[in-house]
Amino acid sequence: MAVRTIDVRERVMARNDELASQVRARLAEAGVMSFNLVSSPGSGKTSLLERTLEVLGEELDIAVVTGDVQTQNDADRLARRTDRLVQAVVTGGACHLDAAQVMSALEAIDLARTRLFFIENVGNLVCPASWDLGEVAKIVVFSVTEGEDKPLKYPKMFRMARYAVLNKVDLLPHLDFDVDKAIAFAREVNPDLRFFLTSARTGEGLEEWFDFLRQQVRAPVAA
Amino acid sequence: MHELSLALEVCRIAELHAQPHGAGAVRAVAVEIGDDAGIEVGNFRFCMEALLGAPPFTGPRLEVLPGRGDDLRVTYLEVDDGRPDD
Repeated sequence: MAVRTIDVRERVMARNDELASQVRARLAEAGVMSFNLVSSPGSGKTSLLERTLEVLGEELDIAVVTGDVQTQNDADRLARRTDRLVQAVVTGGACHLDAAQVMSALEAIDLARTRLFFIENVGNLVCPASWDLGEVAKIVVFSVTEGEDKPLKYPKMFRMARYAVLNKVDLLPHLDFDVDKAIAFAREVNPDLRFFLTSARTGEGLEEWFDFLRQQVRAPVAA
Repeated sequence: MHELSLALEVCRIAELHAQPHGAGAVRAVAVEIGDDAGIEVGNFRFCMEALLGAPPFTGPRLEVLPGRGDDLRVTYLEVDDGRPDD
């Protein structure tokens, strides 16, 4: 039998990236600012969003999609803080969200009544770095109970992110965590990373975070 | 951890490009993987072998080629076109 070679040269992420562009275009057309929150499990993405929804949910017309491997616990937690829509995606084992899931979650969201859209990704510092979801920017959250060298251990995620939130700073007096060192490590892999130091529990540093979000929503959204 | 999702997408692309001969006619799938693609090659091979060993595939071989940066692409397929040898 004759075996012949078929030239393919197709990028494996091409379909996801095409869907991500469609998500990006829809959000831009509706004038919606969007962030993809990524972190390891337990660094405080949901707590940060709870505080954000309490204060800015109505003011900035926030909608949220949460991704979890199992349970819709995060979406339920967030829904208690806002009357606005919180949509849950249960990945059923997958370690990341993909653009197709965000696209279908958008179907349930009234974009005309939304100005800020958060995607709370599955807690994982590896896989979500590879999937573009159509967001304007990724925000990486990590906490002072983790190692300062997290940015060096997971460089791709810190390189892909435009902003970083260092959370749980209220615990600093009880820990040996060196904030300057953590920021220096992060800037080693991504010199342009802008940092926010927050405690979602006590509210420390949240005013700066809220002002940043207000200003991002006011600024024209780049397509 | 996400290697299975990527392997599934590789198989989808391979099946598409194997037309009109069909996935069963594929004899080799070549994939280029860059160092920054975020892929553990051993894990990826394991997933690919499981998928390529099951219908509609009939156990083609997997070629992993070095790629650049975060490149991850299906480079070529070898397909049995069903014609007798020349």
